[in-house]
Amino acid sequence: MGIDRRTFLSHTAKAAVAAAALGVIDMRVWAQTVQDAPVVKKPSLCNMCTSECGMHIHVKNGRPWKVTGHPDHPVSRGKLCPRAHAGLHWIYDPARVKTPLKRVGEWQFEPISWEQATDQISDQLKRIIAEHGTESVFGAQYPRTTGSLYLNRLMHALGVSTTQSHEATCQAGRRIAMSHTFGAAFDADWENSDYLLFIGRNMGEAVRTASATAFAKAIERGAKVVCVDPRLSQSAAITEWVPIKPGTDLALLLALCNVLVTENLFDRQFISNHTNGFVPFRRHVVQYSPHWAEEITGVPAEKIRQIAHEMAAAAPHCAVDTGWKAAVGSCYANSTDTGRAVAYVNGLLGNIGQRGGISVPPGVVFATPQFPAPSAPTAPRNDGVGTEYPLASAESGLPHLTMQRAKEGKVKAGFIRHFNPVRSFPDYDHMRAGMRALDLLVVFETHMSETAIEAHYILPEPSFAEREEVVKAVGDTVAMRTKAIDSVHPQTKSFDEIITMLAYKLGVGEYFSFTLDQWNEALLADQPFSLADLKRAGTLAAEVSDEPVLPAGCGSLIPPEQQAPKERPRAFLVSGGDRNPVPQLFTPSGRFEFYSQRFANAGFEPIAKWYPPKTGLDLGSAEFRVVHGKQAYHSHVATNNIPILAQITKDYDTNRLWMNRSRAEQLGISDNDTIRMRARNGRTAEARVMVTERVHPDMLFSPAGYGNRTPYYKTSKELGGFNPHDLAEYQHETISGHTMMSELIVEVERA
Amino acid sequence: MTKIDRRAFIKYSAAAGAATAFAASGISAGAQEISRTQQGQRMALLMDNSLCVNCQSCRVACQNENSLPVSEKYIRFDYVDSGTWPDVTHHVNRHSCQHCADAPCVDICPVEALFKGPQGFTHLDFEACIGCGGCLMVCPFEVPVISEEPASGKPKMYKCTACRHLISQGKKPACATTCITNAVDYGPWDEMLSKAEKRVEALRKQYPQASVYGKTQQDGLGLLLILRTPAQEYPHLI
Ligand code: SF4
Ligand code: SF4
Ligand code: SF4
Ligand code: SF4
Repeated sequence: MGIDRRTFLSHTAKAAVAAAALGVIDMRVWAQTVQDAPVVKKPSLCNMCTSECGMHIHVKNGRPWKVTGHPDHPVSRGKLCPRAHAGLHWIYDPARVKTPLKRVGEWQFEPISWEQATDQISDQLKRIIAEHGTESVFGAQYPRTTGSLYLNRLMHALGVSTTQSHEATCQAGRRIAMSHTFGAAFDADWENSDYLLFIGRNMGEAVRTASATAFAKAIERGAKVVCVDPRLSQSAAITEWVPIKPGTDLALLLALCNVLVTENLFDRQFISNHTNGFVPFRRHVVQYSPHWAEEITGVPAEKIRQIAHEMAAAAPHCAVDTGWKAAVGSCYANSTDTGRAVAYVNGLLGNIGQRGGISVPPGVVFATPQFPAPSAPTAPRNDGVGTEYPLASAESGLPHLTMQRAKEGKVKAGFIRHFNPVRSFPDYDHMRAGMRALDLLVVFETHMSETAIEAHYILPEPSFAEREEVVKAVGDTVAMRTKAIDSVHPQTKSFDEIITMLAYKLGVGEYFSFTLDQWNEALLADQPFSLADLKRAGTLAAEVSDEPVLPAGCGSLIPPEQQAPKERPRAFLVSGGDRNPVPQLFTPSGRFEFYSQRFANAGFEPIAKWYPPKTGLDLGSAEFRVVHGKQAYHSHVATNNIPILAQITKDYDTNRLWMNRSRAEQLGISDNDTIRMRARNGRTAEARVMVTERVHPDMLFSPAGYGNRTPYYKTSKELGGFNPHDLAEYQHETISGHTMMSELIVEVERA
Repeated sequence: MTKIDRRAFIKYSAAAGAATAFAASGISAGAQEISRTQQGQRMALLMDNSLCVNCQSCRVACQNENSLPVSEKYIRFDYVDSGTWPDVTHHVNRHSCQHCADAPCVDICPVEALFKGPQGFTHLDFEACIGCGGCLMVCPFEVPVISEEPASGKPKMYKCTACRHLISQGKKPACATTCITNAVDYGPWDEMLSKAEKRVEALRKQYPQASVYGKTQQDGLGLLLILRTPAQEYPHLI
């Protein structure tokens, strides 16, 4: 094809406008021409949450007009959630960062050239490293391909070892738990399951598109689906709902283990051939009877027994979903062990690698690009990973601890890309104070987020629709974002360009001796298609390894040298078969570990035992636990500034706190009243309530994603809303170091 | 990005409609569906409320597809909660144009802005509409919304148009394409009805009062609903 379609498109539109202005053609014909302009479908990946669903951006007259799900992409499978549709409006958002900015006062900036900005940044960083060492620097991001390559490579080239992500507010506990039991945080094979038990996970509202589709497929197929949740969520509403006292899921799971073990309902063959530590585990769980658990959780003992029996009958084609954030991720002091207990139930059911059980899928292995690479840095980390937190993930780190070190004057410089820890981590004051204590904070962003506005320099990137990125392995495919439209703000630069520019100025340019295209081509060297093919298609079926491949961001936290030597049987999830061979797992023993020697060595319980949340289970007469969770149409305190999504919140008045009706009556509070909350730490806030029967009496449910503090988000400001991170205090759980987001108790009165 | 599209599209829809239908016959993909719609086969949207997680994706996809102003939406939801903690149930129902076979809105519209299409849906000529609200007065489901069109400042009526520009080319409406739980489907009316009846049969084990709504109301509805509980519980159903 000779002429670029985009050029053709814009010419047609311009010609039509000119003709119309001159009165050469009548408006009717002109409007028809515009309407009939061809639509070009450009493959992309959504950027509204971390799932990066594959999609097509439909471009007409040079403007994106709508998006549709990419049919071949494993995370969208032709569907998209509301945020993806609204993402288009992000491209033209007035709160976009349009040029490089330099801080000139409190939340005040003035434009600066790229040349000057990068010169000043590199001079300052060199001075900081010379004076305070590389341990005084950190890099942080939402961990996706481009950021992980470029930011981490730059940090490593400089000798900085502290690279971080959002995980401490997400799945930190789950990842340690699953790594140390069955090797990695694998998902359940929802679609093909006969029985699914979800512990606090809300598949319909915390959306990964194709996961929600698979969840619904299971329901439609007639599988039994049970949602354990202190709240009747939209997911619970289309399944069987088991209400539970918040923070007590661990007790429920241990009681399920108790029934499976004491009533001999477990998979003997799996236990004897593929597990370690069953004997002490068996002894250990005898104490956790369903009656004991009923006292703690409020779930009737009979219901617990029933679930255990039903799951045993469906085994191995059943699963306790491995969760994400919720009860097993970063909410409670006992979340990591709740995650281990989830794994135990699956181990007893013998469902690892089985149809409808825990899926251990094969994946794509990229070729290794042969460009000069920096060696792994040896400098100590500044967030305690590997030292105070021997099991915590070095990929994700603990940004809230780094902010503490910054307040103590030990951390001096930070580089943050597309990540907003000031607003998305508990304790806004703490996170903000940490950022402000830095001598140099550089934020790479598309928007004036709460973190961006604390930066010394904000370096603007084009939006997802305007840039290309490092290719990504997704299931058995490779996918990528392509450039759908021209830059809306010509002063923006893509991340690969920015980092390469900085690297040269910092004297480590030798590690960036490639273009993005060259890097992508090198990764795809073993694939049956070219980069050009991939740019055209967006998602392509790829060469799949015959070994399990750890899903990005969910991989094992057991260092490879501590895993069992690999002699893996090669068959994994093969649909249809009644029994698949059990894969060797990424644990130290290569087997399922009921007993973890690594936990014991690190000073933790080798077998998870019951303990309550840090804030206890006894609440005062006016006290509530604040628990937050997602609505499908918002994510990451980043979307409520988008008018088309904010409108949903307004239409249904959904940014209120849910309060149980009988508790509200006792306190003289009515629907829509404003309440005053005082946290045990003395902090106060006000919010409006929705009085409902759908929430546990102990709990105030706070829909997540509201309460932006950046003055640049006009729509969000007008919308208002409460964010529990304003009340929560800086704290860290002992095993993974996560943020314990639901260890927040408030006393409530009517305002 | 969208005003011209929307207005141009709706303004000149009658002329464009014929042209697109003609052009579409040359497209090979989905040719079978196209020939069906050319024959004017009666089609239906099927909303399985028992699978809906209320994510609102259908609403936003529809807003983009039809270039709606931010505050207007063709899809709304009704919620019915009952019981007391912990014995609580929560049901949703999509509230949007039901596409009545016998559509009083079409009969009353003084300027013939509302009209029935070959697939049985009720479409709107946006330019012709004078925003008088006659349709709203007679609609049994309280669907039409009269609101000022931001570009022209004139009152207009907003309601689901069944994505006429897509279905006339044999494509699915945007809400059906995007639905993350496959709660929304689109196909020949009788196929959708039998699919719904099968699903209701399965649902009855748990919800004895589950039903298909729309087989007979207004001589049959172009939007069929699967309900887990009796229709009377939902504020906009008759
Ligand atoms: S897209 Fe589907 S699941 Fe989401 S609200 Fe619409 S009908 Fe319900
Ligand atoms: S539901 Fe109302 S607006 Fe829709 S066709 Fe029926 S009468 Fe007309
Ligand atoms: S508001 Fe528009 S569509 Fe409704 S009756 Fe009046 S002119 Fe017709
Ligand atoms: S059929 Fe089209 S116009 Fe109607 S609700 Fe669905 S997307 Fe909107």
